[in-house]
Amino acid sequence: MRRGPAKLEKKNLKAFLQTLMERYDLFGPVRLAEGVSVYKRIDDPQEVDLSSANPQKPLKEVFFAQSEVMFRYEKAGRKTEVRSTEEVERERIVLGARPCDIAAVLLLDQVFSGKDYTDVYYAKKREKTTLIGLACNRPLSTCFCASMGGGPFVRRGSDLFWIDLGEAYLVEFLTEKGEALSQNTLLEKADASEIDLAKALEQRASEKATSSLSIEGIEKRLDEMVESPFWDRVQEKCIGCRVCTYLCPTCHCFDIVDEASRGQGQRVRNWDSCLSPLYSLETSGHNPRPTTRERTRQRLMHKFNYFPKNFGSVACVGCGRCIIYCPAHFDIRKTLEEILVP
Amino acid sequence: MKVKDSARIDLESSWQPKILAFLCNWCSYAGADLAGTSRIQYPPNVRVIRVPCSGRVNPLFILKALQSGVDGVLVSGCHPGDCHYISGNYVGRRKSATLKRFLEYLGIEPGRVQFSWVSAAEGAKFSQVVKEVTEDVRKLGPIRRWTLQPQAQKP
Amino acid sequence: MMANAPSVGAWKSIGAESVQPFSPIRSGNPMIEQRIREKAKELLSRKDVDLVIGFGRGTLPLRATPLFARTPEEAEELIWNSFCAANLATYLHKLSRFKVGLVVKGCDSRSVVALLRERRFEPERLFLIGVPCQRMVDRRKVQRVAPGEILDAREQGDRIIVKGEDFEIHLKRDEFLYSSCQACLHRNPPKADWLASPPVEESALTEAFDEARLFEERPSEERWNFFIKETSRCIRCYACREACPMCYCSECFVDSSRPKWIGSGLDPSDLAFYHIVRAYHQTGRCAGCGACERACPMEIRLSYLTQKLNRDVKELFEFEAGLDPKDRPPLSTYEPDDWQEFIK
Repeated sequence: MRRGPAKLEKKNLKAFLQTLMERYDLFGPVRLAEGVSVYKRIDDPQEVDLSSANPQKPLKEVFFAQSEVMFRYEKAGRKTEVRSTEEVERERIVLGARPCDIAAVLLLDQVFSGKDYTDVYYAKKREKTTLIGLACNRPLSTCFCASMGGGPFVRRGSDLFWIDLGEAYLVEFLTEKGEALSQNTLLEKADASEIDLAKALEQRASEKATSSLSIEGIEKRLDEMVESPFWDRVQEKCIGCRVCTYLCPTCHCFDIVDEASRGQGQRVRNWDSCLSPLYSLETSGHNPRPTTRERTRQRLMHKFNYFPKNFGSVACVGCGRCIIYCPAHFDIRKTLEEILVP
Repeated sequence: MKVKDSARIDLESSWQPKILAFLCNWCSYAGADLAGTSRIQYPPNVRVIRVPCSGRVNPLFILKALQSGVDGVLVSGCHPGDCHYISGNYVGRRKSATLKRFLEYLGIEPGRVQFSWVSAAEGAKFSQVVKEVTEDVRKLGPIRRWTLQPQAQKP
Repeated sequence: MMANAPSVGAWKSIGAESVQPFSPIRSGNPMIEQRIREKAKELLSRKDVDLVIGFGRGTLPLRATPLFARTPEEAEELIWNSFCAANLATYLHKLSRFKVGLVVKGCDSRSVVALLRERRFEPERLFLIGVPCQRMVDRRKVQRVAPGEILDAREQGDRIIVKGEDFEIHLKRDEFLYSSCQACLHRNPPKADWLASPPVEESALTEAFDEARLFEERPSEERWNFFIKETSRCIRCYACREACPMCYCSECFVDSSRPKWIGSGLDPSDLAFYHIVRAYHQTGRCAGCGACERACPMEIRLSYLTQKLNRDVKELFEFEAGLDPKDRPPLSTYEPDDWQEFIK
């Protein structure tokens, strides 16, 4: 039986975060420029921005960094010392994570620390992280989480769940990890009116986030369409950049490179994108995905056909970033509807 | 051999400008050679990379040098009209002009990247150019790192 | 014409009902729009071209999306308004086997001319549908003054009316233009096979190369810090590169491994290097369309870089890219008396 919800006054937020920082490494949304934010390690509680919309770069970056050194090596005499970077020293807290981004991390868990394989770099960070979800009081028109099994107040995957009540946050304790933070003196008990307000906000947000898009049957439909001329039209306006894949909370392609000079070096994992022609280019020169057609088809198939086959659910959480930031204004909702037209 | 006192390294102001010079094989490199055989003294801060022609210098060479922490770059070629490859230095001249202006616009101080025409007979000119470039770069101080770190103090 | 039109770009037309309430931008220039549609339909029905690339309604307000019309019916969905900002010339590289009708503004036409000069396509395979440009509206500037998410936007004369869940504001169109459009002196397409409207008077709303001029007035250290700070946000998505019509190298310098100029991660000096070189590679080629800056999801300021290069090329070599298909690219040629005061 979890303890009842608490309340954190916004005026106490900075102090609260400061006490957390004594024991934890804190991560959260930080504004880099007007309208541009990312999840970053917080050095100063003032940096945290919990009022803007979803950061451009998604939550996955906290566990699966865009550029991560895997190990370093150095020749010492006749031996080579190798030092892995997988260890995570301090416990971590991520705050301000939206339900869609958290749902995406749950999907990535199946890839990076699932039954078949454990990626230590991801897994160790994940183990040591307490996730604080933040409800979306005002979903955007581009949010279609409801069509992907999510929603603006979905709590699944959060250790704590915060709801912005205006002058304070309602704090719900959902797991043991979350309850570990409940002793903080700045957390006061929430009263009934506050709980009611949170319920009202949830009601309103859920109404707003309804999306008429339904993806029922998409996996089967895509099975039938592999060689369809549909893909010739879908790919037309794609310019082949990497915005959708890098900003997508579930995309997880990567490249591994060695950087070395004079007896020392490091192995680095960097994000990569299936939309880049180089991604599938083979040493022989053959490219199984030679044009935008094959690559855009692959991306949609991966999200809505291969991932369901491998892991049981589609790899899209409806965050809407690809719709907002695509330079060609590609709208995946429209593409999905067109796929499902009988 | 006795080490002279003046050669003792003073650790506090030990920074010396490191300058990379791209010298065209037919004129400037030969001019540098002549400075050497004529025993003309000039500062040792310049490291030379011999290229066939000043027009061979890819702007990315200059940028890579600056990114790597080199404090200054010199590109030197044949005088207009004397290029061994007829027009390489002319094409190089246009690249140099546009690149120099662009780098200064971005905030790389004027004087870090310099250009000269030095012929095979101009040993004295070469040493003079090196003296001037070294002095200019010394006054500017170490190059600012290409990162968000706070700026390094000048020595 | 304003009624529910079939969805943009669909190979099977479906109703737009299911994507409500995302109401599309209303057309600002019905007459130009109609003429573009008629011309496109004519070209397609006579099979003068295999397809027409123009603009169609985006699913979000304040946006027009590239539209690829292969039949007269599809051409009916072409639109024209102040949000048709994209430079469609970038799509030509994928379509060199086809005969393409391309809707071009002034800057877009300049890009096409620059590409023709670089011998990227045969001129006979292109039909340029020229539109003298009314200057395009910067949707980010508009969003910044709105108190919430914009759900609907329409043009009405010289106004833009923007609506959200609980607000409606009226804006003067001319106060929300892209800075590259404000300074533009080439709104008329220098090369066009047909014009959708009479040419407009060439006049800039701000001084030419304004951004570059203002930037240059700042002290050197400040400029460098600004540049490093802006590029530190870069996520190497290459939207700038792909949106640019002039970036078409089959191997970009970033992918070169011998020599390896830069890594593929987020080293701040590599980010700076990438942007310096990408801009510099446009010297003498850039039409100043601003597609790079417009495409960037991290809103990095980029057009002030190419502006400087464009200005220098004009001052030093009296050259502007994309105005004459017969001109020589400035870095591939020389004059005996080129400026050389900077050379010792």
